[in-house]
Amino acid sequence: MNLEFNEDQIDTLKEFINISMGAATASLANLLDAFGTMHIPKIDICNSNELAQKIESTIDLKSMYYATKQLFTGRFGGECMFIISEDSAKNLGRHLYNVTTPSRDDINDAVIELTNILTSTIVSRLTQELNTQVQFFVPSSQFIDANSIVHCEDVSDYSKIIIISTILDFKDQKINGNIYILTKDEAIESLRVLIDKRIEEIYG
Amino acid sequence: MIALKYPDILLDSLENGHMIIDDKFIVSYWNRWLSINTQIPKGEIIGKSLKEFYPEINYKVFYRKIRTALVIGTPTFYDTNSSTKFISMNRNKVTTSSLKLMQQQVTISPYILHENKVMVSIYDISELFEAKLLIKKEIVKVSRLNDKLEAEKEIIDKNIMMVKTSFDGIIIDVSTLFCQFFEFEKDFLLGKNISIFKSPDIPEATYKELWWSVKNKKSWSGELKNKTSSGVEKWVQTRVTPIMDENGELSEFSAVYHDITNEKLLAQLYITDPLTKLYNRARFDEVINFIVKHQRKADTDFILVIADVDYFKSINDTYGHQVGDEALVSVANSLKNSLREDDLVARWGGEEFVIMLKNVTLDEAKMIMEKVRESVQKIKINDTISITASFGLTKYIIGEDTKKTFKRVDDALYEAKNSGRNRVVIK
Repeated sequence: MNLEFNEDQIDTLKEFINISMGAATASLANLLDAFGTMHIPKIDICNSNELAQKIESTIDLKSMYYATKQLFTGRFGGECMFIISEDSAKNLGRHLYNVTTPSRDDINDAVIELTNILTSTIVSRLTQELNTQVQFFVPSSQFIDANSIVHCEDVSDYSKIIIISTILDFKDQKINGNIYILTKDEAIESLRVLIDKRIEEIYG
Repeated sequence: MIALKYPDILLDSLENGHMIIDDKFIVSYWNRWLSINTQIPKGEIIGKSLKEFYPEINYKVFYRKIRTALVIGTPTFYDTNSSTKFISMNRNKVTTSSLKLMQQQVTISPYILHENKVMVSIYDISELFEAKLLIKKEIVKVSRLNDKLEAEKEIIDKNIMMVKTSFDGIIIDVSTLFCQFFEFEKDFLLGKNISIFKSPDIPEATYKELWWSVKNKKSWSGELKNKTSSGVEKWVQTRVTPIMDENGELSEFSAVYHDITNEKLLAQLYITDPLTKLYNRARFDEVINFIVKHQRKADTDFILVIADVDYFKSINDTYGHQVGDEALVSVANSLKNSLREDDLVARWGGEEFVIMLKNVTLDEAKMIMEKVRESVQKIKINDTISITASFGLTKYIIGEDTKKTFKRVDDALYEAKNSGRNRVVIK
């Protein structure tokens, strides 16, 4: 199984991801009435046991987080993870439910809604660019401490993973979170094939 | 592609609820499952707003989710773990149910985009949710037990002397108390063989018995003497337990120790004559009573001897009690050194000593005691004062009352005294 990407493939993937992230920002503004920015996404192809370390490097290990995971399947399948701090999640709950003190249920639902919009838009747009289809599953959210977000042993069955990560920032609402699109072995190979096909279509 | 002829039948046969609704919440389809579980028939709700039937739904949030599905063209969802139900439905499960209301997964999928219609699908995930709750409860229980176990482990570590070894006796763990008691660093002990604690004072047979027991998957209990790193001798009550692996094969040993040094010292004091360091009369009584009571063949074959220092009162009166004590210690040492380890020698009281010679005939005993008498005769206190002793001997007759044995041996001693002292007489 060839899991290596050449420079052209990486450039194309970056371009598709940028388009997808742009679409996600527009969707959020339109649907949630929140004007946010997304940082330039980072693409890492690494060993699966590095995932926990990569996530831990972007969050405060002493804080509590809402971690929402949503699976998507198809030729390009994987998992989208959105990690948002307790304070940001409360602000999101306030904003979406229009209440001063949102309940835990309100916050969870708000986080799930935001994750779903992000995942659906980013992955749909990306797969649209790659001329393939995906199906989305119901997201699940957990309120957990930073150390429990990823357990190394949970991902150790995969040899390689792609981590596409960015930061979402709604300055007005004081909401920000980290988005990770994770995909593994077979899906990485599919992604590489799909990118090649698309390069062929675009550049002939 | 073949169009489905009877989509209504298909949707009615599904084991979950499906409704078609627009962004004004007007219901245009309501499947059989919903009719049954909500008790609202299809005919009653179609064409009407859901708000009339379920005013408690947060329609602002619901509208946003409908719009999201329509705009993005992918499904939107409600939180499946939420305690707020989209549409409240009772559960009919009678046995072992922790949920009174149905836990739902609600998916809003785009249906006809230009008519702003979506399909709302409701799945009953109560069983799954119950299992999740149960697992959560069990995890909390396990976590509490783990905390308790950790706390208890710490208590054990600090309060119980414990060693764990591999099958071949290599120390793999030791408790803090064990290290403190024997004055060793844990790191020093780990990896060493447990035999470093072996004492030359404990018979080799004891160690053999210990290893035989544990290698045969049996626990062993007994008293062992060990030295601390600074050389202090300690007695420990020890229990060694074999630990088996999942196949029932020996894998490790664990040993628990209890300090009995003080008890041992007290016990020693209880049976020892403080002046001569021989056993005292209490110990001799204990042994002879045990023999008489149990009448074991190996024990009952013995000769009883009473030795009495000649003219002891005169030594005391002439040279003082200190010299008298020295004389008693010298006789005691002479007796101990002239007899076998198996023979029991005790101070009977005053200047009298009692001896139990095992497995010898009367004639042999007489010869032995003659030699003892000669060795006593050679004693010189302060290089000048000579001592002699008289000896009475008799054989214990199996089954007889020891009063009779003592009467005979007393008579023999009396005769030795009356016939000139410094002699051995048999009765």
